[in-house]
Amino acid sequence: MAKAPNSAQIWTSKTNAAGSASFSDRDSGFVRNTLAGLMPFAVGIAMASLLHFLLPGMVGLYYSRIVTDIGIAIIMAVSLNIVNGMTGQFSIGHAGFMTLGGYMAAFTSYYGSMCLWGNTEIHGGFLGTGEWLFVVSCIVGGLLAAGAGYVVGLPSLRLRGDYLAIVTLGFGEIIRVILQQTGKVIESAEALKTGGLSQMIPPPVGGALGFGGVPKYTNLFWVFTILTVTLVIAYRLKRSSFGRGMISVREDEIAAQAMGVNIARQKVLAFVIAAFFAGIAGGLFAHERGVILSPKDAGFQRSFDYVIMTVLGGRGSITGVMLAAGLLTALPEFLREFEQYRLIVYALLLIFMMLVRPQGLLGIHEIWDLWPRRRTTLPPTASLMHSSTMPSQESKR
Amino acid sequence: MNTPASTTASTGTPPIDSGVLLDINSIGISFGGLKAVQDFSLQLPAAGLFGLIGPNGAGKTTIFNLLTGVYEPDSGEIHLASRRLFNRQPHEITAAGIARTFQNIRLFPDLSVLDNVRLAGQLHNQQGLLSTLLRTRGYRREEQLLQEKAFNLLEIFELQDRAHELASSLSYGHQRKLEIVRALATNPQVLLLDEPAAGLNPQEKKLLAQSIQQIRDRFQVAVLLIEHDMPLVMEICENIIVLDHGNTICRGTPREVQNDERVIAAYLGSGLTDEESSPAA
Amino acid sequence: MSDFVQTLITALAIGSLYALIALGYTMVYGILKFINFAHSDIVVLGAWSSYTLAVRILPWLGLDPHNPATVPPFWVAAVVMLAAMVLCGVVGFAIERLAYRRLRRAPRLNVLITAIGVSLLLQNVGQLNFVFGASPQKMPALLPSWELASIAFGEGESARRVVIGLIDVVIFSLATTLMLMMQYLVFHTKLGVAMRAVSFNTDNAALMGIPVDRVVSFTFVLGSVLAAAAGFLYVMKYPSMNQPAHAVWVLLGLKAFVAAVIGGIGNVRGAVLGGFVIAFVEQFGAFYISSNYRDVYVFALLIVILLVKPSGLLGSPVREKV
Repeated sequence: MAKAPNSAQIWTSKTNAAGSASFSDRDSGFVRNTLAGLMPFAVGIAMASLLHFLLPGMVGLYYSRIVTDIGIAIIMAVSLNIVNGMTGQFSIGHAGFMTLGGYMAAFTSYYGSMCLWGNTEIHGGFLGTGEWLFVVSCIVGGLLAAGAGYVVGLPSLRLRGDYLAIVTLGFGEIIRVILQQTGKVIESAEALKTGGLSQMIPPPVGGALGFGGVPKYTNLFWVFTILTVTLVIAYRLKRSSFGRGMISVREDEIAAQAMGVNIARQKVLAFVIAAFFAGIAGGLFAHERGVILSPKDAGFQRSFDYVIMTVLGGRGSITGVMLAAGLLTALPEFLREFEQYRLIVYALLLIFMMLVRPQGLLGIHEIWDLWPRRRTTLPPTASLMHSSTMPSQESKR
Repeated sequence: MNTPASTTASTGTPPIDSGVLLDINSIGISFGGLKAVQDFSLQLPAAGLFGLIGPNGAGKTTIFNLLTGVYEPDSGEIHLASRRLFNRQPHEITAAGIARTFQNIRLFPDLSVLDNVRLAGQLHNQQGLLSTLLRTRGYRREEQLLQEKAFNLLEIFELQDRAHELASSLSYGHQRKLEIVRALATNPQVLLLDEPAAGLNPQEKKLLAQSIQQIRDRFQVAVLLIEHDMPLVMEICENIIVLDHGNTICRGTPREVQNDERVIAAYLGSGLTDEESSPAA
Repeated sequence: MSDFVQTLITALAIGSLYALIALGYTMVYGILKFINFAHSDIVVLGAWSSYTLAVRILPWLGLDPHNPATVPPFWVAAVVMLAAMVLCGVVGFAIERLAYRRLRRAPRLNVLITAIGVSLLLQNVGQLNFVFGASPQKMPALLPSWELASIAFGEGESARRVVIGLIDVVIFSLATTLMLMMQYLVFHTKLGVAMRAVSFNTDNAALMGIPVDRVVSFTFVLGSVLAAAAGFLYVMKYPSMNQPAHAVWVLLGLKAFVAAVIGGIGNVRGAVLGGFVIAFVEQFGAFYISSNYRDVYVFALLIVILLVKPSGLLGSPVREKV
């Protein structure tokens, strides 16, 4: 829809004249910019490789497993934060997306493996063909979850707060019920061939007993590579026009609309992006050694775990949520004797946070906002002081 | 620019004048059985400065809501630059060129001053999600331009020192200013100001009056102003429309409106002198 | 035909339970404008405290709680139910006073999160070994399983009997009595007027001299009492009880909440209507379509209603003032 021409766009011409407001000149060369854009991924892959090869030797399998779990939990919590934290919607069915994606990924890799190689053993070594099948499966799982995110996001346009929470809760439960009605897993490639297409309805993913036999490809390298991608995308989303748009939806929908933000689009987009990453996390989870994916994983109990992480970490804070996810995944492992008290502690923590510090540990800030910094030419962040009465020259304390 | 010289509300369908930027034609809306606005018409020329006054509950903000797409009128039509605005979402109307401020300030409290302005300025950005995530050159350039524009705007209104503070930490007067700056950042053709002087002291009101006129001149926007502060309205508005219970009871120049009996009766029921101004809510 | 009647009877019984629980949701929402997630856990508390009480009282009377043939006199059931109601009323009062009161002016999302916290707390404290434990139990029979009426369908070999049991009748009549009492309270007493005033506009009600805090507390207590009754009646009908944090209870509460929404959240009559609608949809869907997807029907209905008439069947749309 073209805008009618405005005869005097004075303030546009002012821009070119006023050089003083121009900040760091980023427009310096295509190659340099591309490298800058890809740098975080390179760093992430490097770190993931280091972790993968060195950590098990250093701390043993048990702790490596915990670190893997932490990685997956961070992906879930950070993606949930896009919906709950940035856009301010209340989704408590995030585990539903994860489980849906996980099942799709497991289905793809299990039966794909059968079709390609005749069995479901681990195929190929590090970065071998088997692992690439696994990666593709995870992405497929993510895509299915993203589609579900779209479907769930649509009612979000009509519903606010409490109602949306119930719908997302219901979504998780519906996924659980549907998954419970699925058929038995097909054990061998021969059975698969003789059975034909009809045995795919209902999908043979194990029903209430869970999906056993999925090839266990998940390792530290892939978890942390995918984690890097998730973090970079979440951060870049937050610090962008899209991110501002999403945050404005959280702050004041009516004002956001008045300022030209398409709130419907932002809300649904948030759901889709978050669900995509949850689906991939589900794929990682399904292929983790020692895990049997089951319909229960779609239920609200799991979803609450991630909600608690976002509440504790602070909506709008990526690093805060990371911390919370790490803490809440690692601690239960070390405090296993107190398992029956775990949820009680969580519950009390939740209530305590809401009464005393509802914005979470870090609120809307990232962890690096806690240290005093001089004003630099980087994109500005919000000041740490919420209610300063005097204007200050320093942006951060 | 044709503004009806008569002081009665228009009921017919005047032809669309090419000099008129915002042509509002007999719009009305009812909520349940209550007729909130009835048969409201207005021709706002480009770079015009009109005032909309009336007692509380007269329907003034409702008219703003009708113009910005929050409500859809039951009757009548709205044309902007000869294009009909019909069945549009609020964000589409803002993109078309009508921006507004709110009676109760609706800044984004957790965003910085700069971000509030950048948000408003970004609606014309073209770059999509993928370029955002990949940080392509096109995206970076757009962001750079946006940041500069936003800073320029803040400089014009002397808010640049507070650019990185949270909007919620600003003083009341500055928040009111930021509301206006933010609306301007959308690059509008028409600016709707909803009680911008509410809560300001006389000194601030003086400055506001000057600012509004300067905005009109410098940014070439047409301004429609809702206000309770009579001296302010009478001083700067070229034309004033008076509303009461949803109906237009008078329209004309400030002088005409001041002396109109119906206006006086609507406000107080007894004599309303020029010096009297009703305190803003 | 006989199946139809049997399903109908079950639906009426279950529907009255949903309605009782839904009343609690709707009253709290009407007054405080938020969903009390912890409400379903009050139902659980009512059910499990009934069990604990029954298991203690019966041996004291010389009866074996685990023998379904020996049924105590009627007054035992009444005592247990009343005791459960009192306990839950107290707990409801405590929750409001300690957790929700301070958040009355907080953003609704914060209150919602707190409610989830309270819910989790109740569930998991309930599962502690020294409270109710984490294993399923069987509720002792407090009412004789008499058949009050039986309707015969068909002749000879294909004759089927539909039985109307005492328990179903008790559930339905007790629930209906409670609901009628509620109706009277809300619409024909001064207290009811106060409740409705607070639900329209809390601040104005306070300005009119209504003791808002006390009205809110009373509403919570009322909702909790009804929930306790529903919990007790539920385990009367379905004695195999799952442990407090089991999904079955959450689903029960969730469906009752859906009932409240479908009827029009905040609307007392709507909650009752919604309860029966949900029960009918669930039971007839489970029987005639598939019982595997029992839970799905209810949620599907919720989504349809929210998309078509979000204010519910008996609710009125609310506009946000810009």
